[in-house]
Amino acid sequence: MDISRQDAKEFLNQIDTVQNHTRKSIASSYDSGLLILWGLIWVTAFIGTHFFVARAFHIWTTLCGIGTIITVLVCRQQFRLGNPTKFSAAKKLGWRIFWFWISLFAYIFIWLSILVPRTGIQVNAFIITTIMFAYIVIGIWSASSYMIWLGAVVTCLTLIGFYLIPLSYYCLWMAVTAGGVLLGAGLYLRFCWR
Amino acid sequence: MAKLDNIIHQPVRLQIMSSVLALDPDEQVDFVYLRRILNLTDGNLGAHLTKLENAGYIKIEKTFIARKPRTFISATGKGRHAFNEYTAALKQIMGGHEES
Repeated sequence: MDISRQDAKEFLNQIDTVQNHTRKSIASSYDSGLLILWGLIWVTAFIGTHFFVARAFHIWTTLCGIGTIITVLVCRQQFRLGNPTKFSAAKKLGWRIFWFWISLFAYIFIWLSILVPRTGIQVNAFIITTIMFAYIVIGIWSASSYMIWLGAVVTCLTLIGFYLIPLSYYCLWMAVTAGGVLLGAGLYLRFCWR
Repeated sequence: MAKLDNIIHQPVRLQIMSSVLALDPDEQVDFVYLRRILNLTDGNLGAHLTKLENAGYIKIEKTFIARKPRTFISATGKGRHAFNEYTAALKQIMGGHEES
């Protein structure tokens, strides 16, 4: 079969485009919905905390409780029906990640009881950076570079908010940056990552 | 002269093979999902999958998940090898060693 050098280049470009599109479509179909959900929860909870600081505990426990229930239901449903791909390690990896999150939250409570942070902002920054640490670990584990970046960027924004932003603006800063980054990343994955 | 595999070289089959080869070796892609990302019709995708399956390049597995029929597609070792040969041939042509 005879083809020109230009045709060969075009075929190789086409292969590259299709492979990138496939990988990104699959990755976004798994993660974008949950990122959007947790981005919305963080934005709402931080704004709520800014305006009703006395009710911060109730705002966070209620919204995170709702978020956790929705996450479990979505993952269960996705696992049963909607997965675009199936692979032998999927079930194991899914359970590993599930137990990793459970262990992490158990340890967050242990660490908090040992360290006894003095302010709500310390508790918040500690939990957010620990969750972002989990994003980085899961990103390394599942070879998802965008999760590693997401974890690193939100960690940096949290540290900037914690050390450099006046305390009274911390929650607004976190709503826009940390919550905004999660929400933005989810929306980008869902609609623009092609 | 670099030889191009006629089965893979057909445009739709090239897209299918590229997409399936983007997955991990033990990963399978859902038929409906593949149809959507490649923007093909059921019939068109089905016909080309059959050709690739007959050549031994892909494996089609029909199963039931939550009582609904699902079809999953994966590349075989032979398919991976053929695709690698195909891309190597294209690179060879592009490199100008065997330009036609």
